Amino acid sequence: MTLAPAPASEAAEQVRAEVREFLAAELAAGSFQTHVDTWLSGVDPAFSKKLGERGWLGMTWPKEYGGHERSAMERYAVTEELLAAGAPVAAHWIADRQSGPNLLAYGTEKQRQEILPRIAAGECFFVIGMSEPDSGSDLASIRTRAVRDEAGDWVVNGAKVWTSNAHHSHYGIVLVRTSPSDSSNRHAGLSQLLIDLSLPGITINPIRILDGGHHFNEVVFEDVVVPGDMLLGEEGNGWHQVTAELAFERSGPERFLSTYPLVAEFGRRVAETGDPAAVATLGRLSARILALRQMSLRIAAALDRGELPNIPAALVKDVGTTFEGDVIEEIRRVVDVTPSLESPDPLGRALAEAQLHAPGYTLRGGTNEILRGIVARGLGLR
Amino acid sequence: MSDQDLVVETVRDILSGFEPFALTAERRWDAGLWGALAEAGLTGVGLPEEAGGSGGELADAVAIVATVARGAGAVPVAEQLLVAGPALLAADLDVPSPEQPMTFAVADAVTVHPVDNGDGPGRFTLTGTVTDVAWAGVAAHVVVLAPAPAGIEGAVLALIDASGLPATDAFNLAGEPRGSLVLDEAPASGSLLTEAQAGEVRARYALARAVQLAAASEQVLAWTVQYAGERHQFGRPLGRFQAIQMELAEMAGEVTAVTALTDAAVQALDRGENVVLAAAAAKVRAGAAVEVVARLAHQVHGAIGFTQEHKLHHLTRRLWSWRDEAGSDLAWSRVLAGGLLADGPDGLWPAITRVV
Ligand SMILES: Cc1cc2nc3c(=O)[nH]c(=O)nc-3n(C[C@H](O)[C@H](O)[C@H](O)COP(=O)(O)OP(=O)(O)OC[C@H]3O[C@@H](n4cnc5c(N)ncnc54)[C@H](O)[C@@H]3O)c2cc1C
Repeated sequence: MTLAPAPASEAAEQVRAEVREFLAAELAAGSFQTHVDTWLSGVDPAFSKKLGERGWLGMTWPKEYGGHERSAMERYAVTEELLAAGAPVAAHWIADRQSGPNLLAYGTEKQRQEILPRIAAGECFFVIGMSEPDSGSDLASIRTRAVRDEAGDWVVNGAKVWTSNAHHSHYGIVLVRTSPSDSSNRHAGLSQLLIDLSLPGITINPIRILDGGHHFNEVVFEDVVVPGDMLLGEEGNGWHQVTAELAFERSGPERFLSTYPLVAEFGRRVAETGDPAAVATLGRLSARILALRQMSLRIAAALDRGELPNIPAALVKDVGTTFEGDVIEEIRRVVDVTPSLESPDPLGRALAEAQLHAPGYTLRGGTNEILRGIVARGLGLR
Repeated sequence: MSDQDLVVETVRDILSGFEPFALTAERRWDAGLWGALAEAGLTGVGLPEEAGGSGGELADAVAIVATVARGAGAVPVAEQLLVAGPALLAADLDVPSPEQPMTFAVADAVTVHPVDNGDGPGRFTLTGTVTDVAWAGVAAHVVVLAPAPAGIEGAVLALIDASGLPATDAFNLAGEPRGSLVLDEAPASGSLLTEAQAGEVRARYALARAVQLAAASEQVLAWTVQYAGERHQFGRPLGRFQAIQMELAEMAGEVTAVTALTDAAVQALDRGENVVLAAAAAKVRAGAAVEVVARLAHQVHGAIGFTQEHKLHHLTRRLWSWRDEAGSDLAWSRVLAGGLLADGPDGLWPAITRVV
């Protein structure tokens, strides 16, 4: 699976420098603190709004929808700088990364006009409504149903689960069954609905992750009436639309940089102590990051050319999220630091955050086992 | 079609006439293959015609080295095309005829004396033992990187005629010659290099091995996928078993990471930017992948892959060797980390985004 090189981009380096300067100023002003895995847990709508004001959300979208018509390479530079700094990007992350592009691809003119400019402004946040209590990896088995009523509206019943940041978000793109399941074609009869999360009949129940943090939720739909014009794309085309989203969802720098703030802290320690074993470990980790960056950049360039590199995207997510977890073990082998969220030592805190979030890296967005199945198909084995 | 496809095709054609064989002390290289490559002008690719080479770009030379590595060709193309030749050129030294095999070695334990025998500057004598010489006893010339004469900063790049020099019998895990050469006031033409220039020569050597590792890893994956499609157990091909699919997908992830980074590092060398750190990263990453690629390739091949009759060992034994050559994993990891932290404790991320 050879990936063509990403084009060099002056503009990307320019915007990278701007983002770095912005982040340094924000850190100095105490507007945020660096944490691990902030694209899940770092919700800060004010910060998202600042990014929107600077033109760093919806960067690649057409100007008529509030976008900035900049290249995928520029967007890549912005997102990776934000992640490396451990900045609070969770509020807008899903909307900017995949809901917006999904609306651009399949939304009606009205949907685009109404929603995209607000996403680009950092004022409108989205959730992914795919998983359900009985449907994880086997997404096609979902049971949440939407039925047309006489007025042509959709009546939705069912429950979504693990819905990240539903309690902070405005809309969900929710995968629902719009016709009964057909055992001869499991992927038929699914559709995507654009659902305003403030509609009556929607209950959002918190679910706490290992460190006690409230990031994901159960979202229950009881006779929720969704206006008829909130169908996204075509009725029955949900499976295809969901699959197309995945290349965006799986290949970005957040698939190997979730624990980068821990690496940065470790780098600072290595610079201080010069311990030879730790120096070597830092070198090995850095070589892995450099390879992942090349893969991720090259996929971003392919997406920009209009390709749908689903197999490389699955592959980089597998290798990248494995790395995110390995970082913890590699570092703890060469430093004498006890991980604790209360540690006075920033390295101890970063280790604790990374460890308690670790099981999620290789699950969210499709488990690594499922990803390897996709890669195996790419190798011609299934 | 990329510009290199024709080169690759030509090399493949030649390779098809030379089956890889298990190297022994008696048969330490593939002289026939070398002769065929030389006859086609391929052993001078990347060296300009004025210098006696066949012209062509770095990408062409890399394509040749990669293709020969895939075919487990026992010839010093990596050393000659990617290291010794370009290093001599960069140091303004004459390049011997590319039809004769030439290799490269780092000679930290050799002392160098300038001589003034009336031939002008650039003449030296070298004394001491050069260890770990790839293709020792095979190469007609050895380009060595040695410490500069006492009192002078930097290093010396010197060209030695190796034809009369006895080599010790030492071999890597694949049987490739890696003996020592004992130099006793050996005459050489040479040039002084700065520390930085010497560092780039070492980096070229590491990158050459990374190119070979990447190519051989790709080939091992391809062989393993093919085997999993052909071998049947329990009434179906191995590749239908999910456990095997997971292993092959894991190999594919490693191989793709290695090829992407090695490719980027070759481009960095072509641009002359961050050569040392890019090569260090490529070498370390390629070396790390060997553990997974070789282990899982053997696992999937079962007992047949554990034999000398099967071709797999030609590449897995080379992978296990090459990852520790041209500077160990440990050494290059430290070079990489040191370079990335050169701007201080907060400089890691900016450095990472600059390297390739
Ligand atoms: C932090 C986090 C955030 C998330 N956010 C969202 C969100 O916002 N929206 C959303 O819709 N979902 C979200 N998810 C859900 C995520 O997509 C699912 O966890 C994932 O798809 C796996 O489903 P599951 O957890 O039900 O595991 P299961 O599918 O039950 O799998 C359990 C185990 O069995 C393995 N397995 C399953 N099937 C196979 C198979 N065929 N072959 C081999 N192994 C198999 C899996 O790999 C896994 O190891 C989130 C998850 C996490 C951890």
